[in-house]
Amino acid sequence: MSTTENTTGTDPVRPTAPSTGGPTPTGTGTSARTSLPPLTGRTRTVLVVGVLASLLAGAAVVAVGLPADRELFGTPLDELTVPVAMLVALLGVSVLGAATARQAWRVVDIVVAAVLGVAGGLLFVVWNIGPYAVVGPLLAPPVSALVVGVWLLPGVLGGLVIRKPGAAMFTELVAAALSAVIGNQWGFATVWYGLLQGLGAEVVLAVLLYRYWRLPVALLAGAGAGVVVGVLDTTVYYPDLVPGVQLAYIALATVSGVVVAGLGSWALARALARTGVLAPLASGRDGRRV
Amino acid sequence: MVPARAGVVPPVLSARGWGWRHGTRRAWAVRGLDLDVAAGERVLLLGPSGAGKSTLLQGLAGLLDPDNGDEEGRLHLDGVEVRAARAAGGRAGAARTGLLLQDPLSQTVLARCGDDVAFGLENHGVPREQIWARVDEAMAAVGFPYGRAHPTARLSGGERQRLALAGVLALRPGLLLLDEPTAMLDPVGADGLRVTVADLLGATGAGCVLVEHRVGPWLPLVDRVVVLEPGGGVRADGSPADVLGRHGAELAAGGVWVPDHPPRTPPPRAGGRGPRLLEAQDLSVRRPGALAPAVAGVDLRVDAGTCTAVLGPNGAGKSTLALALSGLAAPDAGRLVAHEALADGAGPSPHRWRARELAARIGTVFQEPAHQFVAATVADELAVGPRLQGTDPTRTAVLVDELLQRLRLDGLAAANPFTLSGGEQRRLSVATVLATRPRLLVLDEPTFGQDSRTWAELVALLAEVRDEGVAVCAVTHDADLVAALADDVLHLTTPDPTTRDRSTPDLTAVDRADTGSGGAA
Amino acid sequence: MSLPTDVLSGAVGVDTSAPLARANPSAKLAVAAVLALALVLTTDVVTAAVALALVVACLPFTGLGARALWRRGWVLVVAAVPSGVFTALLGVDSGDVLLGAGWFTVTEGSAVSAVAIVLRILAIGLPGVVLLSTTDPTDLADSLAQDLRLSHRFVLSALAAMRLVGVLAEEWTALGQARRARGLGDDGVLGRLRGFGGRLFALLVLAVRRATVLATAMEARGFGLVRERTWARPSHFGLWDATVVLGGVALAGVATAAGVAAGTWQLVLSG
Repeated sequence: MSTTENTTGTDPVRPTAPSTGGPTPTGTGTSARTSLPPLTGRTRTVLVVGVLASLLAGAAVVAVGLPADRELFGTPLDELTVPVAMLVALLGVSVLGAATARQAWRVVDIVVAAVLGVAGGLLFVVWNIGPYAVVGPLLAPPVSALVVGVWLLPGVLGGLVIRKPGAAMFTELVAAALSAVIGNQWGFATVWYGLLQGLGAEVVLAVLLYRYWRLPVALLAGAGAGVVVGVLDTTVYYPDLVPGVQLAYIALATVSGVVVAGLGSWALARALARTGVLAPLASGRDGRRV
Repeated sequence: MVPARAGVVPPVLSARGWGWRHGTRRAWAVRGLDLDVAAGERVLLLGPSGAGKSTLLQGLAGLLDPDNGDEEGRLHLDGVEVRAARAAGGRAGAARTGLLLQDPLSQTVLARCGDDVAFGLENHGVPREQIWARVDEAMAAVGFPYGRAHPTARLSGGERQRLALAGVLALRPGLLLLDEPTAMLDPVGADGLRVTVADLLGATGAGCVLVEHRVGPWLPLVDRVVVLEPGGGVRADGSPADVLGRHGAELAAGGVWVPDHPPRTPPPRAGGRGPRLLEAQDLSVRRPGALAPAVAGVDLRVDAGTCTAVLGPNGAGKSTLALALSGLAAPDAGRLVAHEALADGAGPSPHRWRARELAARIGTVFQEPAHQFVAATVADELAVGPRLQGTDPTRTAVLVDELLQRLRLDGLAAANPFTLSGGEQRRLSVATVLATRPRLLVLDEPTFGQDSRTWAELVALLAEVRDEGVAVCAVTHDADLVAALADDVLHLTTPDPTTRDRSTPDLTAVDRADTGSGGAA
Repeated sequence: MSLPTDVLSGAVGVDTSAPLARANPSAKLAVAAVLALALVLTTDVVTAAVALALVVACLPFTGLGARALWRRGWVLVVAAVPSGVFTALLGVDSGDVLLGAGWFTVTEGSAVSAVAIVLRILAIGLPGVVLLSTTDPTDLADSLAQDLRLSHRFVLSALAAMRLVGVLAEEWTALGQARRARGLGDDGVLGRLRGFGGRLFALLVLAVRRATVLATAMEARGFGLVRERTWARPSHFGLWDATVVLGGVALAGVATAAGVAAGTWQLVLSG
C-alpha cells in the first residue's frame, strides 16, 4: 500500500483569496527557478550506465549498418544508418528518463491529466466540426500539414502541467479517444494516432529526464509530436505520394507542432499557473508563496 | 425512508496545535487548533472566508498531501493520525469519515447510479458478494428515487448530491464531513438533502462536522458551534444558542447568515417607472441543439428603473429565457422587441446586434462568474468594456478606479481574476458589466451561494443602479432577493415531461404583479 | 453550436445480444488493432479489398443495423475520399497517363494506389466503428482494467473524466455567449482566432478546477487506497472472446496471404 499517492492537498473547493492584492503566482509553468529533484547516488549510477548503454546500442547500429537494398522515400536505408542509430540511443535514454523519474503519480495528477485530455478532446471536436471543416478540404498535402498542431496540443500541455512520466501520452490518448467516441473524420484510427503523437512528445520530455520544462523543451516536445504525425500521415493516408511531397509534409507538420503545440501549450501552461489552479500539481509549485 | 440498520462507530476527534499551510501560500490556512469532539457529536464549523474550514475538513478526511504543504501539531481520530486512519479504512472495508463537497457536478464519478455508489466500496476492497446489498441499502437510506441503472447524466443537482451522499454512506463512516453541501442547490433540493442528513444522523448515531454559512435551517441538527479565527485557533465554542447569542452580530458582519441578524436591505424604490425597454410576447426559446423549447409562451415587459424577478423550479427554462432577454439566444417563436429607449438605433432584435452594441445596452451577469473573465488582471478586466467602446484611456482609468472602490475590490487591481474568492469573483463580474453603463442588467442567480455580506452588498448595488434608471432583471431562487428588490415577478412552471415534445407551449407565464410595491413572491 | 456528446451514453440503436456485439470489449479492441497493423504494413489493393470484404461479411453479426452503421461510419468516407483523390493526383506515377498534366497527373499506377488507399482506410476504420457503437464506455473500462490488467487508477480516472464532457461542452457554449455579452468577437478572423484561444484557456481553467474537486471526491471514497480493489461488475474473457480475437488474426492473415499470392503485397516503407 502506498501512502505517497493517495492524497491531494490544497483547498480546491473554496479557493481562498490571496490575503493581499499583491502579484499573483507567476511563471511556474515553465519557470527557470524550478529546483531540480536531487539525484541520489544509486540513480546517478543507473543514469550513467544507462546513457552509456544507449550510446553503445546506437554505436552498434552504426557498426552493423542498415541494408542498402531497401529504400525509404527513395532513400536507400544504409544512408539512414546514422539517424536510426541516433533514434535508438534517444529511445534508450528516454526509457531511462522514465525509469529514473522518482515522482509517483498521485490521484490528483491522474485525474487532472484525464480531465485535461477530455478538454483536449472537446477542442478536437470543436476544431473538427468548426474551423477545420471549413479549411481542411481546401488544403492539399503538403500544405495541409500546417494545421496538425492543434491535434498535438493536449499531449504537450499535459506533459508540461503534470510533469510525470507518461503524462503527455496519457493526456493525448484520452483526448484522441474522446474525439473518436464522439465521432470524427478518421474514426478509430484517431486512438492509435493519439497514442503515438503523445509518445512523440513524451520521448523529448523523457530524454531530458523529466527535469526541464522551459520554452525550448515545450517547442522540442511539439516538434517530437509533429514528426510523429507527419510520418504517420504519410504512411497511412499518403503512402503513395511522391517522396518530395512526403518530406515536405513531415517538415511542415513539425513546424506546426513547434508553433501550435509547443508554443501554444507553453503559453497556456504559464497562464494556467498564474490563475492558481495548478497549485496541487508539480507545475504549480515553484518555491514562491503568495 | 431510513431502514433500520446497524449503527456505526463514531470516532473521537482531537486536534492539538494543528496547522496546515498550502504549498503555494505564505499564510497558514489553519494554525494552532486545539479541538476535541466527542463521539457522535454534531458540530457546526463557522468562520470568515479564508479561516481554513474546508482545509480542516479535508485534513479530517486524511486527504491533505504532505507533498503539497506544511503541517504542524497533530490531528487524530480515535487516537490515530488521520492519514493512517484513512489507510486503516482501506483494510477494513469501511471508511472512518465521509466527505461531501459543495459542487454536485464534480462529485459524480460513474455513468450509472448504482456503479457510482459502488465505487467507494470497490476502492475499499469490499468483496463483490457484499457490494450490491450495501449499494441498495445506501440508496434506500438517502431516499434515492431511481434504480441502479439510471444514468447519472440525467440527475438534477439535488439528486446528484443525494447520490454522492449514498456513495459516502455505503462506506459506513462514523463521522460525516459536510462542506457546504447545499450551497449550490435550489431551495427544494437543499431542504430535501437537509432532511435526509438529519434522518441519517439520527438513525446511525454518526457524528458530523458541518461547514455552512446559511446556518438557520441546520441549527436544529447541531449540538455545538465552533468558530474558527482567521489567524489561527478557535474564536468561540459552545452550544448554538450560546455562540450565536453572544457572537451573532459579529458573525453576521463576517458573512454568516445568522437568523436574528438578517442582512440589511435597501429602502424601497424611490423613483417612478421609466420608459419601456424590452417586451416579450408569447416568447419561446430553445437551448442550442434541443428539439423542444426550454421555455414557451412568455409575456413580459421590462421598464427602466424597475426590477423584474423571474422565478420557477429547476428545468423551467429560466436561464434560457435570460439568454434570450440578454440578446444571446434567438427567439424560437413569438416576439422579443427592444424599444427605442433600449435599442438606440440598433434595431428591435437584441440577438441581431453586434457584440459591441449589445454590451453597451444590455449587461449580462452569468451564474458562473469565471465564464465572463477575459483579462489577466482585475483592473484590465474592468477596462475591457470601456476600451471596446472607444472611451479614452484617462477616462477609462478613472472609471476603473471608481468601480474598484465601489465594489470593494481596490486592493485586488493587479490580481488575476481567477484567483479571487467566490464573493470577490461575483462582485467583479457585476462590476465588469456596469463598466459599459448598460440600460438593462440581466442576472442569472446573482446571489447563489453567496455569504450574507456579499449578498447585502449586491442587493444594495442593484437597488442603487435601479434608482439611477437602469432596468434590472434577475433569474433567481432567492426569496430574500425577491422580497428586497422585485417590482414585477414572473413565475415559470415546469412542463410535464410527457408533454414536453408536443408543439403546444406547455409553459405558462402567470402571476405578474404589476404594482409598484415590493415583491409579490 | 451544440456538440454531439450524447453518443457517450453507450450503445444506442444496437442489438447488443448479437454475437460480435456481446464479445468482450478488449477482444473487439484487439481485432481492431490487429487489422489496423496488418493493413498499415502494406498499401496494395488486393490486401485492402480482401480485408474490407471480410469485414463487411462480418457486419451482420455485429448487431449494427444499416442506419446505425451509417450514422457512426459515414465520417470514414469523408476522410477516405480526399486521401484517394490526393493520391491519384500527387501519387507516384506509373503506367499510362489517364488525366491531367505536370505534377497533377492521374496515371494507371496512381489510380490503383488511390483505390487501395480508400479501401484501406475503410477496412481499418470499420472495426473501430463496430467497437465504438456496440460498447458501453464503462464496460470497456472494466475490461481494460480487469482483463488487460491496465492500471485501474488511470482507466477509472479517464472514465470519470469522460463524465465531465457534457459539463465542459456546456461551459464552452457559455464561454462563447459570455464573450459576446462582454462585447468581444466583432473583429474579423484574427479576433476570432484570439477569441478561440481565450475560450480554450478559460475552459482549461474551469476543467482543472473541476478535476481537482473530482480527485478529492474520488479520494474521499477511497480511490487509490488499496492496490487490489474489487470490482462490482466482473468482466469475463471467455472462450468466445478468444475465438473473436483469433478470427480477427485469421482475417488479417487471409487478407495478407491474398496480397502476397497476388504479388501485390509490399512493405509500406520499401520504395
